[in-house]
Amino acid sequence: MAQNKRYWSGLDELHETESFQAIREQEFPAAQTVDEFLSDERIDATHTGRRDFLKFMGFSLTAATLAACETPVIKSIPYTVKPEEVTPGVANHYASTFYNGQDYGQVLVKTREGRPIFIKSNGVTGRGKVGARVNASVLGLYDSARLQGPTSGGEAAEWSKVDDAVRSAFAPTVAGRKVVLTNTVASPSLRRAIAAFCSATGAEHIQWDAISYAGLRAAHRSEFGVDAVPRFDFAAAQAVVTLGADFLGTWGDTTRQVPDWAANRKPEAGAMSYLHAFESVMSLTGSNADVRTPVKPSELGKVAAGLYGHIVNGNAGSGLDEATSKAVKAASDKLKAAGAKALVVSGSNDADVQVIVAAINQALGAYGTTVRLDQPWLLGRGDEEAMSRLIEDMNGGKVAGLIVHGVNPSYAHPRAAAFNAGLSKTAFSVSTAGWADETASRCKVVAPDHHWLESWGDLQAYGDRVDFVQPTISPLFKTRAAGESFLHWMSAPSTDWYTFLRQTWNAAYLPGGMFTDSAWNSALHDGFMATPDSGQAQFMDGVAPGQNVSRLGAALQAVAKVAGGKFELDLYQKTTLGQGDQAANPMLQETPDPLTKVTWDNYVTMARVDMEALGLNLYIGQEKPASVVNVKVGDQSIELPAFLLPGQKPGTVGIAVGYGRGAAGEAIGRAAFHTNEDGSYAIDANSGLVPIGKNAFPLAQWVNGLPVFSQYNVEVTATGATFPLATTQIQNTYMGRESIVRETTFDAYFQEKDAEKGKASWNKLITLAVHEDVNGDGKINAQDGKPTAAFDLWHEHPVENVGHRWGMTIDLTTCTGCSACVTACHIENNVPVVGKDEVRRHRDMHWMRIDRFFASDYSLERGEEEGVGKIASYRKMEDPAENPQTVHMPMMCQHCNHAPCETVCPVAATTHSNEGLNQMTYNRCIGTRYCANNCPYKVRRFNWFNYPGYKKFAHANPAQDALTRMVLNPDVTVRSRGVMEKCSMCVQRIQAGKLEAKKAGTPVPDGSVVTACAEACPTHAIQFGDLNDTRSTVRAVSENNRAYHALEEIGVKPNIFYMTKVRNTTTQPTQA
Amino acid sequence: MQREAAIREPLILGNKTYKDITDDVVGPIEGPAPMGWKIMITIAALIAVYGVGSILYLLGTGIGVWGLNKTVGWSWDITNFVWWVGIGHAGTLISAVLLLFRQKWRMAINRSAEAMTIFAVIMAAIFPGIHMGRIWVSYWVLPLPNQFGSLWVNFNSPLLWDVFAISTYFSVSLVFWYIGLIPDFATIRDRMKKPLAKKIYGFLSFGWSGRAKHWTRFEEVSLVLAGIATPLVFSVHSIVSMDFATSVIPGWHTTIFPPYFVSGAVFSGFAMVQTLLLIMRKGMKLENYIHVKHVEYMNIVIIVTGSIVGVAYLTELFISWYSGVEYESYAFINRFSGPYSWSYWIMMTCNVISPQLFWFKKIRRSLIATFILSIVVNIGMWFERYVIIVTSIHRDYNPSSWGEFHPTSVDVGIFIGTLGIFFTLFLGFARFFPVLALNELKTILKSSGENYKKSHESH
Repeated sequence: MAQNKRYWSGLDELHETESFQAIREQEFPAAQTVDEFLSDERIDATHTGRRDFLKFMGFSLTAATLAACETPVIKSIPYTVKPEEVTPGVANHYASTFYNGQDYGQVLVKTREGRPIFIKSNGVTGRGKVGARVNASVLGLYDSARLQGPTSGGEAAEWSKVDDAVRSAFAPTVAGRKVVLTNTVASPSLRRAIAAFCSATGAEHIQWDAISYAGLRAAHRSEFGVDAVPRFDFAAAQAVVTLGADFLGTWGDTTRQVPDWAANRKPEAGAMSYLHAFESVMSLTGSNADVRTPVKPSELGKVAAGLYGHIVNGNAGSGLDEATSKAVKAASDKLKAAGAKALVVSGSNDADVQVIVAAINQALGAYGTTVRLDQPWLLGRGDEEAMSRLIEDMNGGKVAGLIVHGVNPSYAHPRAAAFNAGLSKTAFSVSTAGWADETASRCKVVAPDHHWLESWGDLQAYGDRVDFVQPTISPLFKTRAAGESFLHWMSAPSTDWYTFLRQTWNAAYLPGGMFTDSAWNSALHDGFMATPDSGQAQFMDGVAPGQNVSRLGAALQAVAKVAGGKFELDLYQKTTLGQGDQAANPMLQETPDPLTKVTWDNYVTMARVDMEALGLNLYIGQEKPASVVNVKVGDQSIELPAFLLPGQKPGTVGIAVGYGRGAAGEAIGRAAFHTNEDGSYAIDANSGLVPIGKNAFPLAQWVNGLPVFSQYNVEVTATGATFPLATTQIQNTYMGRESIVRETTFDAYFQEKDAEKGKASWNKLITLAVHEDVNGDGKINAQDGKPTAAFDLWHEHPVENVGHRWGMTIDLTTCTGCSACVTACHIENNVPVVGKDEVRRHRDMHWMRIDRFFASDYSLERGEEEGVGKIASYRKMEDPAENPQTVHMPMMCQHCNHAPCETVCPVAATTHSNEGLNQMTYNRCIGTRYCANNCPYKVRRFNWFNYPGYKKFAHANPAQDALTRMVLNPDVTVRSRGVMEKCSMCVQRIQAGKLEAKKAGTPVPDGSVVTACAEACPTHAIQFGDLNDTRSTVRAVSENNRAYHALEEIGVKPNIFYMTKVRNTTTQPTQA
Repeated sequence: MQREAAIREPLILGNKTYKDITDDVVGPIEGPAPMGWKIMITIAALIAVYGVGSILYLLGTGIGVWGLNKTVGWSWDITNFVWWVGIGHAGTLISAVLLLFRQKWRMAINRSAEAMTIFAVIMAAIFPGIHMGRIWVSYWVLPLPNQFGSLWVNFNSPLLWDVFAISTYFSVSLVFWYIGLIPDFATIRDRMKKPLAKKIYGFLSFGWSGRAKHWTRFEEVSLVLAGIATPLVFSVHSIVSMDFATSVIPGWHTTIFPPYFVSGAVFSGFAMVQTLLLIMRKGMKLENYIHVKHVEYMNIVIIVTGSIVGVAYLTELFISWYSGVEYESYAFINRFSGPYSWSYWIMMTCNVISPQLFWFKKIRRSLIATFILSIVVNIGMWFERYVIIVTSIHRDYNPSSWGEFHPTSVDVGIFIGTLGIFFTLFLGFARFFPVLALNELKTILKSSGENYKKSHESH
């Protein structure tokens, strides 16, 4: 048998040797013990020579060395008990609500592994979409400057000690005024807690807001007997006139107003609403207006009176120049035509102006349609008179105790100096601020509140609904919810804040027991719950409508008397920073102002004629600093750089509030202070930190006891000094390049609204001349052209109708330039913040930017007519018109199907995906920057430095702080030094969406994948989807005849479509 | 025996014998270093050290230490690169093209011109390296087999062609130069008395014995290499120009670029040869070998190539107007009237107007005028590249991204530094290498030497 064996494992087996058989028999060979082995005498006979020894030693040494070189192993510790819902790598979203005294919006918070990293609008609420200020607020959670626990006298203290101190200071037996000073409390539970606290301690509650709506409320109190701000329903408005109200940027409930207004701006619907803006400084709203009339702040009342006159008694007002009068007439005609669907809003806090505006709306019949006093806005309830009295009493030493919550009057009150003086005379003061800000650092005790992302809460902006705040992370520090603090500071702390919150809704609004856990959970899931109340009742004055005493007559007389000086001052808020509570947020500081495109500073906006008269620098650039001017208001003055803003009314200057935070070096955040070119903090003459910009709140004037954010007579003088400003765009016009920006009027659009692209005069197909008789007229000349699609140097990328082809459409008509997409993109994609000096050097890293083009009133055609040469014509085209029309054009990687960047990369680091994406492989990039040079849209961004590590960015870049780094999106690589980056069309979201669809076994449903920018866009101007999906929205929009490719004639075939901008004007847009 | 027409000016002046030539060329190598040389190389080396320091700072910190920005992604880096590559053109042209055309006057200048080429190409090669964001992975531009998967270079990219073009050009130039040096090194070896130097020169001369067989091979190899090098003279700068010509940027996307760049390169290369040789002939007392006639010949080349460059500039302007393309036309209007028009007019003055002065024989044969104009030409050629690169991209298609460029001290430091390195290398060459191709010169002594010509005449 053995001989027949065909396979064997060795000669032993073949020959069936004895030893082999012995081993085979023994299934488990007995191991030789160590003792046995060592006692084996033969071992002594073996020999390890010197050489062998050295060999072994060498090997061991090398092996040990190599083992030491191993990359350090970072042990990740798995959950012992895995929390339900937390799966590493999978994001959870929680509904919550944002409110900071200015902005209010319902949001979804995205958390990864328990960390909130992204904020977007909560789509199911139907109550608007949040803007840049809200979605960038997530950075504040991880701010290492936040107070990490209570402090007393600036030193860390125990909660129990702080509580004892507050309790004894607010004991009912303590004499003197005891005041709880808050912003408008939007939380019913917090109101309840404060009320309970006040009744237990004998304190009083004063509400005060930095941005006051007291004038608007006063007008409605005197005219209608309702002390409230009405809801302005822009969705119902067909004609809107705004008198300095930036309702698309900062004024009122922007979260709802922006989408509501844009809903009526779709030319395809056959009608567009009309917007006429009267204002001094070009605001976001003014730049989106169909007609914009620059007026001085002192004239706003007269404009209102003029509108009132035209509408009510045909009696045109006086005191306005001819052009303004004409504009007032035109606006009033539009309003009259719209009737009840008209709406006039005013941003003034002068009650007189608001009274006239209310009368206009009343005369138009707008109350009930566009002005909903029956659904009042529950915010903006600051009581200026009570606040002024409080400051007086504080200075008189009559205030025994003060609790400050949610406001920062030491910074934001126009009489901050008086407030601060009073605060030092107040026996006991406590702040609940999360940062040691201007007010908190002056208070004796700070009892820091949670960040809103760590909080439980309920909020109400309108009476019919309560919105919930739920924590998305456990508190990072030893902070405590302000509501709980109030409960603790009452004599008998009985319950925690969460239980108290639940009780509010059990007891007050719903019959006992009805509000079950499941009802609560579903309300938390949705983020809101309907309540049966309109909210109006609580503001009724006790005077029945109709019986109130109208102040209209007095108001008309008062506004006629207002006179202005040579220069007037308008204080405005920037869309990016608002009232300034997020001044230390580097993401917001680096987001360019939508109009000026300046980052990291405030400045004096001026008209060109005024700047020329004062001999100031008109053009700002890397090495062209702005001239500093002194604006003198009474005995106060402020020195800021001057910036030429087209559309500014000559004789007016504008200054944004919200800057100059931390003027005494308060620890409000790393990014709140100016840095030198090397990244170290700039130091002023008193060796203190230099705040960014200057505080303009103290410049407000007082009219009838209310702060009005303007001055009618100021002095402006040049100081001769200069100051660098960092702007992301230095060329203001689009130089007549209509293949970049296309715009038309609604009339022109309407006449040809069914014409196909190319036949419509406002969206001409771009053709290139060929040496062929294309049009068949028998002649070969310049008229013979073929569309760019006919020319192709390259093989078509196989993306048409094969699989996905991701694309985007951007409607220039509804893009307001609000910059919500900018912050959303940058937070989603970990786009580095690089600081002022780098932005000044034109090295902003923005993947998503909004190009803002002002129209010029000059063109090559006009130059030809006037006999001006081409060179001079081009020079004149570089300057915007005095009051230009504006285009906001979001610009990001166009994902060209024939991308010029792809062909030039020597190492193929940028390539085309078979889904139409232009992909950037950071790991492969060697950083030649050839692709950026060859990009016609200039959207590629180079990592000039190691932003997450280099000292220059220590104070600006969130990635350089161990805590702030937590906000980075783990799905997106943080790029290293020396590589190129750009918009990826949120490829991480595309991949995630595809995986979801794959798991579900379905094609990717339209709308399931959406980029951060499209998701954030409050007006749906940006649409994203699969162009190969014939049923997708983006496909339908791209086939619309308004769609065009920017710079189509280069033939790069982008996957991004723009939609011709349509303005609701009869006059042709000024040639750019 | 080759005879030359009597009317031709002699190429070697004075009463020279073979030994005189050897003494004149090898003498300075054997003797102690003169004071002037020591001062010059100290200055050059200090500047070189500053340049190296600037480069190290750049590599340590990031490209951000330059003045580049999101709009202007290349500026002094690529300007310097193209400028140095351009300068590197004259050497090969002189040694290869003029060899094929049997221009004997090249023998006095080819050695130093080739050395200049080598050093200039080294300087040029610095820039594509250091301009990369991640120089430590610069080897990825080479088509090396790798373990990154199927990663390969992108053969569509002109930058990749550059890599091949420059490296080929450099290696061929180096070999060509070295082959020429071998018999001269052997001469030095034979005369050298210091043992170490003798050993080194002996090694460098590769055992040259001066046998007829060696000479035959030498001549053959020279011819073959000249044949290989000649197309390279045209290919290198054509390919460099394609970095721009194949792009979509108005002002870069120009089919005229290859010939325009090549003539520009020869133009600047000859100017640099003039600058160097006019100093060297004085310092090393080579007036008899490099004299007015040589200078005049080179000036003629400068007139011709300068005029070609001028015509190219005008053609560009014409085409930008004639094309009717908005962007193209604006790019050129902006070039001569925009924020960087000053650089355009410096370029025009230096490159188009100044070389035309050489039409005057007096100026053409004036050494002082030639020296000044040669520097002017190279300033002009630097600005030509600056104009092409910066004015084209600082205002291209999308006005929202129009920007500006301001150089930093590091930009300047690295450029000046490469001049320092270049002069250090060149001074080293002048001290330790035979600066004239002495053995080749000996071949024309009897046909073009002044004394021999005179004696021919008297017969």
